[in-house]
Amino acid sequence: MASTGIRIGGLGGQGVILSGIILGKAASIFDGKNATLIQAFGPEARGSACSAQVTIADAPVAYPYVQKPDVLVVMSSDAYTQFIPTLKPDGLLLYEEELVTPKDLPPGVKAYGIPATRIAEELGRRLVLNIVMVGFFAGVTGVVSLIAAEKALLSSVPKGTESLNLNAFRRGYEHGRSLVGTA
Amino acid sequence: MEYENFPQTEPLRDGRSVIVREMTISDEARMVEFFQGLPLEDRLFLRNDVSQPEVVHHFVRDTEDQVLNLVAEVDGKIIASATLERGLYGWTRHVGEVRLVVARPWQRCGLAKVLLRHLVRAAPTAGIEIIKGQVAGGKVGAQKALEAMGFRKEATLRRHVKDVAGRKRDLLILTNDVSHIWEKMEALNADFSPTQGE
Repeated sequence: MASTGIRIGGLGGQGVILSGIILGKAASIFDGKNATLIQAFGPEARGSACSAQVTIADAPVAYPYVQKPDVLVVMSSDAYTQFIPTLKPDGLLLYEEELVTPKDLPPGVKAYGIPATRIAEELGRRLVLNIVMVGFFAGVTGVVSLIAAEKALLSSVPKGTESLNLNAFRRGYEHGRSLVGTA
Repeated sequence: MEYENFPQTEPLRDGRSVIVREMTISDEARMVEFFQGLPLEDRLFLRNDVSQPEVVHHFVRDTEDQVLNLVAEVDGKIIASATLERGLYGWTRHVGEVRLVVARPWQRCGLAKVLLRHLVRAAPTAGIEIIKGQVAGGKVGAQKALEAMGFRKEATLRRHVKDVAGRKRDLLILTNDVSHIWEKMEALNADFSPTQGE
């Protein structure tokens, strides 16, 4: 039975938790799998360390904590420094390439970067950086299907923001697919 | 920028339906026909004399300040035009303006609301925070359509409109503050729970 442990790390205000919610919802509600989410954030609304742990599995998840993630998604340099030692030796690192400079990568780790902030700014809202990262995750890993992820996204964001969020997701998704050579 | 997938078939209140799509340069002749078919009274409420083909020629081409330019079409004939415009520079670049005109036989069947809904949806995506609409005093249907889409009366410019009979009417400015939409997204992205630790 396949199970994927995902840790998403960043700063408060980047939408780390929402990213985890969308991935979990995509897997559990729209892809028919099982998912759990553990969230941790500092006392401030912005700027504090923040992380989400998501487990997506074919079978029910008995233990929701992700101590050794298969996939690490980082949107800040601090999150990279803090969580890279926990990534499995053959794990996958997805990072915001203008905010994170991967160094001392453990051997066997595959790393893919995306200029998510720049893409979000090009779309008109830096706020959708996390949605670009969710699309990037879906595009690189295929752990959640495109249709499920889009449905989860559209059911999670406020009315009126759907089209920009969808554009952000698709930009991330396409970038991810192009990097893994299946675009 | 992609706002929605067009064309879309939209059912109207009276059972008829129309196709809503983005205007293209190839619509020039049909736009001329549409604008020339409007009664003078309706044309007076427009900013430019769109009965002149050269004005329409520029309208379909000079789209730099147009965020979204929609037409409603039935059997290949344009029956309504709806535009969301914005200033590209200056203090009010976060403010957009809607312009909408519907052919008489297609008024009072909900078409204005359908078109406005698309424009309002597109505004936040384009970074517009406030949408403005202008209505001549007494145009109750137009005012109601705007109000149904969240617009509220912001100002009344007294005797600013002169109709075909030379009568002066008030000009109503209605606005719709759509910035709160993104405040909700900001709150979702806050990664913070005020109940944490309770």
